Amino acid sequence: MNNPEPSSLLRFENVSKKYGAFHALRDVSFDIKAGEIVGFLGPNGAGKTTAMRILAGFFPPTSGRVFVRGIDMFQHPHEAKRAIGYLPETVSLYPDMKVIEYLRFVAKLKGVPSYALHAHVRSRMSFCGLLDSGHRLIGRLSKGYRQRVGLAQALVADPQILVLDEPTTGLDPTQIKEIRELIRALGQNRAVILSTHILPEVSMLCDRVMMINQGQILASGTVPELASCLKDREAIHIRILDKKDQELALKILSSIPEVEVLKTEEEVRGETFISFETSPELDLRPRIMKLFVEQGISLAEIQRQQLTLEDIFLGLLKNGQFEGQVS
Amino acid sequence: MRKVLTIARKEFSSCFHSWLGVLMAAFFFLASGVFFVVLVLGYSKISMNPQQYGLSNFSGINQTQYILGSFFFNLSIMLLFLAPILTMRSFAEEKRQETLELLFTYPLSDFEIVAGKQLGILLFFAALLLPLSGYLAVFRSLGGEFEWAPVLLGFLGFWLLGSAYLAAGVFISSLTKSPIVSALGTFSVLLVFWIFDWVNDIATGRWARIFSELSPLAHYKNFTLGILDVQDVVFFGFFFFYFLFLTLRSIETRNWKS
Repeated sequence: MNNPEPSSLLRFENVSKKYGAFHALRDVSFDIKAGEIVGFLGPNGAGKTTAMRILAGFFPPTSGRVFVRGIDMFQHPHEAKRAIGYLPETVSLYPDMKVIEYLRFVAKLKGVPSYALHAHVRSRMSFCGLLDSGHRLIGRLSKGYRQRVGLAQALVADPQILVLDEPTTGLDPTQIKEIRELIRALGQNRAVILSTHILPEVSMLCDRVMMINQGQILASGTVPELASCLKDREAIHIRILDKKDQELALKILSSIPEVEVLKTEEEVRGETFISFETSPELDLRPRIMKLFVEQGISLAEIQRQQLTLEDIFLGLLKNGQFEGQVS
Repeated sequence: MRKVLTIARKEFSSCFHSWLGVLMAAFFFLASGVFFVVLVLGYSKISMNPQQYGLSNFSGINQTQYILGSFFFNLSIMLLFLAPILTMRSFAEEKRQETLELLFTYPLSDFEIVAGKQLGILLFFAALLLPLSGYLAVFRSLGGEFEWAPVLLGFLGFWLLGSAYLAAGVFISSLTKSPIVSALGTFSVLLVFWIFDWVNDIATGRWARIFSELSPLAHYKNFTLGILDVQDVVFFGFFFFYFLFLTLRSIETRNWKS
């Protein structure tokens, strides 16, 4: 079919999705190859779940096309969906079924032949650490175990693409670690797409990050690529003791041309925090201190910091685009 | 086909796994038993002394017709309650628990999902009918007499009527996330169809004809009278597939709704 790149497992072509008048996704395009773990990053309501549901074949996009191994997902849904394993955001499984019963049900629906069914289901269960829980009712399992069953059902029938919507939400730290290890192991020979709003998770797990907001991809690149764009940026955080000085401080700062993305943060017991981004080559701290002291501002602390993934993300959200344009 | 059967089997066994399913089966069995016993006793009372009931000649009453005809007609009243409860979970519960989302991402067509669910419920309903033959066995062993053909026809008619009602129930279940709303909605719709039969009694001329053609009960009555008419079978078939089609359309709405 008309897929120019045979190496790409999954391809979004100008995909848009509307719910009535609301644009959940606008003209999104990307390619994902085998062996890649891609992270969708974005705030709640950014369009992550919509993108994932389209990926999983839950519903078609309003416009645009989705190719799975070169097969158009919505013209040949059966073949395309066979290559995909999906773990939804809320892992909702039939509470009145036993784990093994449920996985057999899924395996039959996904077309695993009867002679291979038993061994197949057992191997998925052992991979997800469920061998001892096979005869427990899903409704009685803890959240972590239910997540494992969710992952196991996604892995049934050996999909080459795994779509995991917020796989670690609601788990305790040990469970999070286990799930992350499973994902890393899975990503070695498959394409894994996961969505999250936990930023450190992305740098830990993903080869590539796509930042999504308001239905658009703001930036996409590997974690080092994104980080390299930050080398010429740094953040300066200022703490002021008296809230009354805040306005004056902001006025002084905004008169300095090198100050960018100026913002005030939350107040704690009358103290105000101000932060901005600037270039690390010129250290603005002595200059600001001098200006603040002259004006009698109750400066308590001034601190420089490397920008984190979180800062880029927030910056992107605010500006709508990234200056160092990675793509 | 394997996938349809897989879903049907799951649906069928989930009916038995739930307390509600078991309770409904037990209730249906007992209540229909009460109907049957009351009818048998009523018949024996009349047969002792037909004159008292204004019947000069007892031979005019057919035993099969009096007991089993009325029995099947009474069962159709129970269906008004049974169908909403049997179908209320089919889609509404899966929507509420969001288990439907995963089902849609498996390599299955919408038709396979709807057909599987419908088939599972029809099989469960058929399983509810099986124990009723036990009453007939007891009746026979106690010396009662009936003809097989009208009885089998009665079962067939009842199963067809039930299938039609269940298809309507599955459709209404697919419209909502709440099993209770589904049950109430189905009950109301079935009640409207029920009322068609009364209107049919009151109305005259063309209107009577229209309502009698649309009323499932009017078509069902023929079966209880031991009459097999192709028109009636076609009516129930049309009723069933029409709601099956509506259910398919209804679950397709996920493509444009949020």
